[in-house]
Amino acid sequence: MKAALALWMLSAGIAAAAGSLPLPAWNPEDKESVKKGQLVPGLTLLTEESLAEAVKPPVEAPKPEEVAMPATPTPEVGEQYLEAYFGERPQHFLVDPQGLLSAKDARDRENFLDYHSGDSAIDLFVYLFDGHQEIPSEVREEEIVERHFSSGKPAVVVYYYLGAPEKSDIYVSPLISDAVSAADQRRALASSVEEALEKPDKVAQFEAFCVQLAIRIYWMERATGLVTEADATPHLRPMAKAEKKEPEHALTTKVQAIAGEWGPAAGMMITAVLVVIGGVTIARQRSRYRFPVFEVPPRMGGAHAAGIGAVISFGSTTQSPSAQRNEVPDYLGL
Amino acid sequence: MKCPRCVQVIHRGAGLCPHCGFGLAEADERYGSEDVVLRRLGDAAGLIRAKDRPKVSAALDKFCRRFPQLFFAVYTGSGQGGGNLRQFGFWLLNRAAFEDVPVDRPNEAGILLVIDADSKSAAVTWGYQLDPFLTEEDTFFCLTRAHAYWLEGRFADGIVRMIAQLEKVLRKRAAQARRDPEKFERKVAPPARTGEIARRIREGHKHAAARTVAPAAKTEVAK
Repeated sequence: MKAALALWMLSAGIAAAAGSLPLPAWNPEDKESVKKGQLVPGLTLLTEESLAEAVKPPVEAPKPEEVAMPATPTPEVGEQYLEAYFGERPQHFLVDPQGLLSAKDARDRENFLDYHSGDSAIDLFVYLFDGHQEIPSEVREEEIVERHFSSGKPAVVVYYYLGAPEKSDIYVSPLISDAVSAADQRRALASSVEEALEKPDKVAQFEAFCVQLAIRIYWMERATGLVTEADATPHLRPMAKAEKKEPEHALTTKVQAIAGEWGPAAGMMITAVLVVIGGVTIARQRSRYRFPVFEVPPRMGGAHAAGIGAVISFGSTTQSPSAQRNEVPDYLGL
Repeated sequence: MKCPRCVQVIHRGAGLCPHCGFGLAEADERYGSEDVVLRRLGDAAGLIRAKDRPKVSAALDKFCRRFPQLFFAVYTGSGQGGGNLRQFGFWLLNRAAFEDVPVDRPNEAGILLVIDADSKSAAVTWGYQLDPFLTEEDTFFCLTRAHAYWLEGRFADGIVRMIAQLEKVLRKRAAQARRDPEKFERKVAPPARTGEIARRIREGHKHAAARTVAPAAKTEVAK
């Protein structure tokens, strides 16, 4: 029913439109052309070129400021990050205020650098920049290092460019620079860069760079005399022990908690029990036993004794004591 | 109370055994009527090694300390008693004078262990003061504790073990005697005469009648 109504309304609309517009009429030239076959009616509808394309409206040329320029990143580190980078001695060993690494990768590198710091006498601080970036010229890296790392634990500071390890630069605390020459520092850096360049992606490069530089720092420790040969060896054993004990951590914690809560009371209780037991034992050891004395008439002429106890033989190992008990009078023996 | 010769039960205060007529005089004829000087540890048979003697002496001392009225003595011999250790023990405890025992501890308060190496036997005898508190079963129990040691020839260890067991028995008896001394006194009291027995029976009947009448009187008063 609805379809029929719609069809009626459509046909009524078409009829009304036909009635309101004038019908097209041939001009004489077109009519002659059609007759001669020079003009085919509706030919333009059969071609792919649209009429609109044929008649393009004029377009104004864009203004210079409206033309988009190709993306050209600024080479220098943004000013908003400079304070975070160089304002103070960093609180973490990985300095990445721009967030160039993902959270997971940043956490992994930070954990590694923390581990290195715990195991080494020299800290390793890594300032992370993007590969195309440059440190602004007004920042003097040596001065930054001298200002922040002259005191406290000796440190190696590296400016690392993510994806471009070859641009990396190394600085050391004054204590280390006295013992390790600039050439040795460069060699340590070059070795780390070589390790990094063997990796395909920039995160793996950064990881390899840190590992290799941590190894090289070990030799710097020995060169500076911060670690001796004897000290270096036992460091490994506590670490291994600590790692093995880690699964017991929960149990140990629980035991410590219980001991902390009940330990003093239990200790006092045990002490009290031991004191009581000790006292009872000593009292029993020292106790004396007395018997009432009764008048006993003498027997069989014995002035002092006539109490006859058991007689037992121990001649046979195969018979029980009861079987070897002698209860038989020996009349014939007398 | 038994006769050391015929091992029959005899009554309290019997001058001679009513069954076999045994008495100390007969034992004196056999072993001698003179007193014998001894020490608490008399190892005539040489069963106890020299290095073990302090251990045994220490056990004897400890017994004396624990029981201030009593003492314990050990005598080992060969062929003693002619095979009857009861008679020999009875005679020895009556004739021995223990020179290392304080004078305030007479033989009545002594316990004597006799070990015969020839017959491989051991016997226990005690004085009159211990009559109420020791039985033949007690001494057998103590001897069984030492039996295993003696089988192996470890006489010192056996003696120490036996003394320890005897201490346990006597501690228990001392505690019982402290709580109820009459119970032990009755064991050694002279036998009551016939008239005395009849009087006790009559008194017992009176007490029983009083206990049964009293509740009935109370109910009548209540009514």
